[in-house]
Amino acid sequence: MMNKTSMIAIALLIFMGFYPLFVDSAWLAVGTTFLVFSVVAFSQDIILGRAGVFHMGHAMFFGLGAYTTAILNVQFGWPILATWAPSVLVPMFFAFILAGPIIHLRGDYLLVATIGFNIIFIQILENDIFGLTGGPNGIFGIDIVRVFGIEFASGTYMYYMAFILLGIALFIMRNLDRSKFGRAMFYINKDEIAAQSMGISIRYYKLYAFVVGAGIAGAAGSMFSVQYSAVSPEAFNVTQSIMFFTIVLVGGSASLPGVLIGTFIMFVLPEVFREFATARYLVFGLAMILTMILRPRGIWPVRFGNIPSYLKKDVK
Amino acid sequence: MDIFLQQIVNGLTIGSLYALVALGYTMVYGVMRLINFAHGDLVALSAFVGLTVYTQIFGESITALVAVITVFMFTAAIVAVVGVLLERLAYRPLRTAPRLSAVVSALGAGLVIQNSVMLIWGPNMKIFPSNIFPSTIWEISGIVITFTQVMILGLSSVLMVGLYFFINRTKIGTAIRAVAIDQDAAKLMGINVNRIIMIIFVIGSALGAVAGLFIGAYYRGVTFDMGWMYGLNAFVAAIMGGIGNIPGAMLGGLMLGLFNAMITGYISTQWAETFTFVLLIVILIFRPTGILGEKVAEKV
Repeated sequence: MMNKTSMIAIALLIFMGFYPLFVDSAWLAVGTTFLVFSVVAFSQDIILGRAGVFHMGHAMFFGLGAYTTAILNVQFGWPILATWAPSVLVPMFFAFILAGPIIHLRGDYLLVATIGFNIIFIQILENDIFGLTGGPNGIFGIDIVRVFGIEFASGTYMYYMAFILLGIALFIMRNLDRSKFGRAMFYINKDEIAAQSMGISIRYYKLYAFVVGAGIAGAAGSMFSVQYSAVSPEAFNVTQSIMFFTIVLVGGSASLPGVLIGTFIMFVLPEVFREFATARYLVFGLAMILTMILRPRGIWPVRFGNIPSYLKKDVK
Repeated sequence: MDIFLQQIVNGLTIGSLYALVALGYTMVYGVMRLINFAHGDLVALSAFVGLTVYTQIFGESITALVAVITVFMFTAAIVAVVGVLLERLAYRPLRTAPRLSAVVSALGAGLVIQNSVMLIWGPNMKIFPSNIFPSTIWEISGIVITFTQVMILGLSSVLMVGLYFFINRTKIGTAIRAVAIDQDAAKLMGINVNRIIMIIFVIGSALGAVAGLFIGAYYRGVTFDMGWMYGLNAFVAAIMGGIGNIPGAMLGGLMLGLFNAMITGYISTQWAETFTFVLLIVILIFRPTGILGEKVAEKV
């Protein structure tokens, strides 16, 4: 069955697939970053939109992935390909260690604790701990991806790598949705107390979401560091975290098209209006308020939560 | 020992500024369950408004009690109006919306205020005149206390004690506490909830305005984006004390100020924020609702 949504999705997919053919290199880079940020936004959505964990420090896991790749490549000479696994596992490890003791906190307390993690992370980077992070300037000269002597150096290669990464992220999210995890998440998000009394371990699933989200963000971070061949602390600060947080809520939490629209509005539009630099964020703030007033659940809210389609056949 | 006592004085000064700002966060949170992310930017706005009022009306030359009082009253009034407008335009339409939507609206409102300040007063640092308060300095056995510090400590204490009695002893204060406990029940008892929320924003913004002016007078340099830093510290103070709890915000502010002063005095300035947040997280691990926060049962 083809409905309107899946037709839009296919059209978008085709457009995104051929996008590098008709843009210059600057817009190609914007497109690549859009794809990378979408992946981060989706991983933020797993934590914030699906698990309902008030998390405002996601740039930290994005940054952990980027810095893992950068440090292993530049300081220890690992090839980029070999840094992919650590750049996913390191953020997952830290997500587990850091979120474990505080995941039971009430929403707003969690919000400020996660902001705190992000600020500590930035201070560690800026103070150049163990001489590894390069201080406020960051790390330069990150290698490109090489497989059997083929060099994936051009902007087009970068774009398609990010495109594949987004595909993998969406595949993981679809599988999560259709698994026991997805159903538990959906239930917890609807009614935490009811879920708990049915024997669903809220702590376990929230932590699970946190760790999975951190891992996906880490993969995006690795891609980001290769794309720019440099990393620096300000790309991963709290402002950036707030952007990912806002992307999910402005677009529509737990909604795939919503998160894409959110990323487009929060990242690509400011690029388009770069000339109006001074007044840009004023308009931006007004737009955030207006969007929330007119569409409190986001621009493209999810209709049936994430109930798998085979369960909602008779609905509607 | 001298450094220790000196850092206590400095810490209490910064702490009372944090406490004044934290009260704004905690009062709004107590009644609306909303983190008012724009509050820090209101503090920054008040510093700029105060500076303009002072230099435009009085010129930079005089140091008179009347002038200073006028500046404080005038700025507090303007910022209170902005606070009320903020609630009307950005928060009231979202009172029944999901909680995080209001948070995004608050973040947007913060951006609007911050960038308006930048567009009006420019992106560069503005310097407060040095003669707002007399430059008298007291030296007691090696500890230096400035007139500005005495003013900050004195006026903040008066305001905080005043607020405590206002909340606990007056009719409006009782109404505020009632709305904080249960809005619907309060409405049924004939309390005008909208008016109470307006009063909350007037008081919170005015206290923030006083803090903003003190920040200008104490540190001299003010920037359009400084609200984020002071706001975040004050918010951390409110969380430490137990958000929604008024004595908690005062305690949290003073505690955080003292802690910061000790860290910067003895350990390092580079890691100051790290220590702040480690302290916060440790407090939250052992007391998940802050130091004075009550344990609230989940409402079903």
